[in-house]
Formats: sequence, structure tokens, C-alpha cells
Amino acid sequence: MADSANARQDVDMVDSHQERKPQINCQKYEEILIKVLPGEGPGCASFEIKDEDHTLGNALRYMIMKNPMVELCGYSIPHPSENHLNMRIQIYPEYENECRPVDALMKGLDDLYDLCEVVQEKFTEARDKFGNKM
Amino acid sequence: MSSEYTNAGTVGDRSYGQPQQQSATMHYLCAECGVKVGINKGEPIRCKECGHRILYKQRTRRMVQFEAR
Amino acid sequence: MPSAKSSNRRNIVGVNAETVTNVTSNDFPGHWPGEDHSWNVSKFRETLRIQFFRNDRFHAEFDIVHVDASIANAFRRIMMAEVHSFAIEQCYFLNNTSVIQDEVLAHRLGLVPIVGNHRTMRNMKWHRRGNDPKTGQPYQPTVYDTLILHLQATCERIPNAPKGETDPDKLYRNHTVYARDLEWRPANEAQKEMFGSEPVRAGNPDIVIAKLRPGQELIVTSHAVKGLGKDHAKFSPVATAMYRLLPQITIKETITGKAAERLQKCFSKGVIEIVDGEAKVVNPRNDMVSREVLRHEEFKGKVELGRVRDHFIFSVESAGQWDSDEIFLEAVGILQAKCERLKRHTQRMLQLEAEKADRETKPEAMEED
Repeated sequence: MADSANARQDVDMVDSHQERKPQINCQKYEEILIKVLPGEGPGCASFEIKDEDHTLGNALRYMIMKNPMVELCGYSIPHPSENHLNMRIQIYPEYENECRPVDALMKGLDDLYDLCEVVQEKFTEARDKFGNKM
Repeated sequence: MSSEYTNAGTVGDRSYGQPQQQSATMHYLCAECGVKVGINKGEPIRCKECGHRILYKQRTRRMVQFEAR
Repeated sequence: MPSAKSSNRRNIVGVNAETVTNVTSNDFPGHWPGEDHSWNVSKFRETLRIQFFRNDRFHAEFDIVHVDASIANAFRRIMMAEVHSFAIEQCYFLNNTSVIQDEVLAHRLGLVPIVGNHRTMRNMKWHRRGNDPKTGQPYQPTVYDTLILHLQATCERIPNAPKGETDPDKLYRNHTVYARDLEWRPANEAQKEMFGSEPVRAGNPDIVIAKLRPGQELIVTSHAVKGLGKDHAKFSPVATAMYRLLPQITIKETITGKAAERLQKCFSKGVIEIVDGEAKVVNPRNDMVSREVLRHEEFKGKVELGRVRDHFIFSVESAGQWDSDEIFLEAVGILQAKCERLKRHTQRMLQLEAEKADRETKPEAMEED
């Protein structure tokens, strides 16, 4: 399956007239960047996320912890010279049936996406209000 | 298209990449007076202008590539 | 300060003489009994406050209030390390008889910010590293990913300079090579047209690249490509991107007279003003939280220092390729792109897992495939 971000960057630049989305680097992403680590159980799992660091790790951890069904969310970068992070998610036993750890992860990603949308909106508004750009 | 990106090794009328002369004369720079000294095989290593005995090798005329890091 | 919760001590980090207190955020469900801290976009939209204080091309200053440190830090990190810009990556030395070594000069050239038509540069492609699997050869630069910059300078003596003159300006021509001497050589007409009225050039023309003396010569052709700050700092589009927390100063007992003047001197200019002989906090934003006030016996217990934990004062200085406010917007967009990408990969992982489980439960289905 062709990775759509990859495909987007391979579009010849002269025929991409529409406003481009911000770019995240190129090439390589044929492999899947996330996997479940061994030791998964009902309501708890650890994920290994490749090619991400504290930037997404900590922000995502915060968003997942905002989920009331989540008992624990933490992340660690096992070794600074290896370009991946581990993320642990545990769900309260009473919510185990309605929310898998991977659902909490996806919700965290969606929430972070929405947050960015609001920040962008408010930022543009504040900037336009401030005006007098030199 | 990529020909613009290859460094053919010539800039203006100066030619790089080949030895400047076919003869055995090698050119050095005098450490004392800076003059260019041509020396043939068997000649004493000595500046023809000032007699100084320390001569520098000239910089290579080949293109050298470096990563800007 | 006009923060909605400022009366609330909950979001104040205490700054004491030797310790800091109440440092970690605790706005999580289950932390405060009877309070709902679960994520809610509309609530976030209501509370989030962004205010600009400066918006020049090369420097923007703005406050972002009511976000968590992890989010603010993600934006800051992306601005520095993951917003792209152009920089020289390969240098081809045809001649260099200056005293500065080739590799050092190459490094210096790499650090010069390369600017040009912003839209075009955004749309340009990433230069591919490594070898092309089809040919086994390294990827060749193309018009869409590489810009050629040429630098040529020869230093000469100015004839008839007065004897005893020591000023190099009067003695030699071209004795200093500046970034403005980098000359863009469009690879073809199409590339030239893409940039239109904003050709490729150095972000700051006055950067000194090398110094020469008569007889010395510099001929360098270099290739500039798109890159990210996490690969090399030369690709970072910001000079600095930083935030600090809004300082909070509380005067708990009235301080008057000479003592008020002494208190004023403990803080940065403009932080404390004396109104009718009494010290008042007028602008805590200006303070650098030096904690000087905590060293004085006479103010012991009278003044409390703190920082507002969710009030971030951002300062972004652009290196020239982007407008400073645009760098922040791009950073937010990149965080979104990261979320999207990870979500896509998670869905793909689940899909593959489901397919695998399917195959294990009914192996005969495989033959039909």
C-alpha cells in the first residue's frame, strides 16, 4: 500500500497549485511505525512508536491522560540514540470492555488534532487583530 | 537536466583537473618571497629569485568536494 | 494578571529562595474530586487565550494562556527541529588559496540561511539521500530539489596605495567575502522563472564568509537543499524559539518609603512602581525572576514569587526564510500531520492484526484468495 503522505510528496511540484499541507519528512515510510509490545492484556498495552520523540510523546501522553477511562499513560525513550519511544496505556478495569488501549491512543491522537485546530484558529485571529506587521 | 549540477571542472578559461603542463617541470611556491618557481628533475630545491630552500607545494587543481556539516 | 484562574493558587508555581513548589500540572480526571477535567474541545476553545505583543518579520512575541507545558513544548520543539528550510549541503571547491581551510569554509557556508520566493521553496521537493535502488547510483540533484550557489572572489592590491597605509579597505580590493557574494545560478530557465522576482540569495547579505589577502582566490560551487533542524541546526528556520512562564509577584504587606525604593531595585525595570509612596506591582511580565528580593532580610515573608504554570510567553525569532508568526502556524500544522500519520499507521496495524487473526481462524480462506 502506498503511503499517502509519501505519495503526496512525490507529486511533481509544478502541478501542485493548491495550498500544501505542512510537510513532514519524505521517503522511507513503507513500514508501519507502530507496533504492540509483548505482554498485552485486557485493558493494558505498550506500544512502540518509531520515528517519534518527546515532541509527540509528551503531548500525546497528556492528551491520553485527559481521557477519564485511562488509569495510566506514560511514555519513555529507552535509549536516546534509538529513534523510537514506548508508550504504556492502562484502562480502568470497569471500562475495559468499552475501551481498548488502542482506542484510547486513537482518541488521544484525534483530541490532539482538534487542539491544534483550535490553536491555529485562535492564533490567526489574535495575529490579525494585532495587525501592523512590519 | 542534471548536467547543470555536475561540476565539469572548468571555470571560465581556467582549466582544472588536468596537470597544467605536459613537461616534467613542477611549480612550487617560495616560502620566503612567494614567487612561483619551476623546478625540473634533478634541479636543486631552491628559489630562483631569493635562494631560499623551503618551497611549498601548490594547491591541487582538482575539484574537492565537502559536506557543509 | 488577566488570567482567568489567577486567583486560584492551583496554577501557580512557587519560586522560593532554595526550592520550587507545585511544579507539575494536575488537570487530569480523577485528580480533583468532583471536578471534570476530561478533554473537551469547546471548553478548551473558551479558555484558550492568545495575545500578540510583537509581530515583526523576524521576531514575534505572543502569549498562549491555558495550554499544558507538554503542548507548548511540542510547538517549540517542532519550530526548532521540524520546520524545513534551505541550507547549503555540498560544497565543490575549484580553488581556495585563502587561509581558511576547505572543510571549515564549507561548514561556514552551510550555516548561511538561504532565502528566495517562499512559496516556491515550500513547494520544492526533498533531496533524496543515499542510492537509487534501480541504478545503485546516488540520487542525482534535480531542478526541483537543489539550488546552485556560486561563490567567486579574488583579492587584489589597489595600485598606488599611500605608503604606510594600514587600512585593508584602502590597500586591497575584495579582502572580505560576504554572504551577498553568493551568486545563484539557476539550473535552467524553468527554475529561474519559479522564483520570479524573489531570486535565491543569502538571508543576511552581511555575513562574513572569509577574509582574503592579495593573490588569494576562492571559487566554490555549492548545492543547497531542503532539510530539517533535527538533522542539522543549519536547517532550523529560527534563530531562537523560546517560551517562559509569566512571573507572578505578590506583595503581602504594604511596603513604603525607602524600603519601597529598595524593593523596586530588586526587580527588573518597570516591574514595581511607587504609587503614593507605596510599592505596587505594575508589570510582572518584565521580570526575569532573579529572586534578589528573597535575599533581603527586611522583605522576608512580605513578598512571594511565583510563575503562572499555564501562561506561556513565546518569543520566536526567524532566520529569514519564514515570517516568524508563520513558523508557529507551520509547527502546529506539523503536529497535526504527525497525529494523522500515527493514526493512519495505527489503523493499518489493526487491519493487519485482524487479517492475521482471520487467517488463523479459517485457514481454508487462504487458498481461495
